[in-house]
Amino acid sequence: MTQSFLLRADERGFTKILSTGATGAYVGGHPDAFVTRYSSFNFHEYQSGRPGFGRIRVFGEEAFHSPGCSYNMHPHHNFIICAFVLGGTLTHINTLGRIDALRAGDYYAFSAGSGGLHEELNLGAEPMEAIYLWLLPDHLLLPPAYGQGHFDEAAGRNRITPLVGDGALAIPQDAKVSRLLSDGPGTYAYRPRSPGHGVYAFVLDGSLACDGTWLGRRDSKGIWDADKIALQTGPGTTDALLVETIL
Amino acid sequence: MSDNAFKRLICLGCGFSYDEALGLPGHGIAAGTRWADIPESWVCPDCGTPKALFEMVEIGYAKTPPILRFAA
Repeated sequence: MTQSFLLRADERGFTKILSTGATGAYVGGHPDAFVTRYSSFNFHEYQSGRPGFGRIRVFGEEAFHSPGCSYNMHPHHNFIICAFVLGGTLTHINTLGRIDALRAGDYYAFSAGSGGLHEELNLGAEPMEAIYLWLLPDHLLLPPAYGQGHFDEAAGRNRITPLVGDGALAIPQDAKVSRLLSDGPGTYAYRPRSPGHGVYAFVLDGSLACDGTWLGRRDSKGIWDADKIALQTGPGTTDALLVETIL
Repeated sequence: MSDNAFKRLICLGCGFSYDEALGLPGHGIAAGTRWADIPESWVCPDCGTPKALFEMVEIGYAKTPPILRFAA
């Protein structure tokens, strides 16, 4: 018997983090810069929602406003931190020796393992918009790892494209991220790897019927105990992330 | 797993992991210190997240050996 939870766009936790005052050490780019964050799961000061889903602990829609807006260099261990850039340019510096500029369609997976530091910046005037996903790893204190990928819209049109996990960018967890991009009505079936895997579907844009529920922009649904998830896209462009995770 | 087994907890703000078996001697917490015996006012040494926002995890340590390179 399929189980699910529904999270509408406006039911997420919202926070605005300034580059001045108490959060001035956390967010750079003062005085004008600020980060806006919509959290699907409990994170930092937002603790009145769901604690996570499977191995997912963070799923946030974030925007970095104003040139210089940044998360100042900070440490991580263990978590597999993924960022999917939707707009603007994310400059990403990390202690695996990389300085990357990621634009719409680009993404990274940073498995912090035994430890690393990173800094994320918007150096431009256009807001940088990204989805951040944190997954628990399958082992503690792994050697840190970093990989990058790019979602090709032309090649990904009207199909479900794996981005992270499985045959795509490898991560140390039994989890997978795919993207569904369609340019009109269509039907798709998503088959979780096993009955012990669930799927968190997040609509970036357009409309997606997910196992019978129509989801609009920034709506999401978590589904488990389903061996097949029926997906239907609406008219125009539909763009969705599908995160599969062992439960 | 027995109730006496040492637990591991992960900071939900940054991923820092506390292992009861290891403690944090550099931060004045002796090896073997139980999570319950750490004051509630304690925060993550890496990011300041409150003790209450750590999650107990049952995840084993990596078996992958570190990558070591030495000059000849």
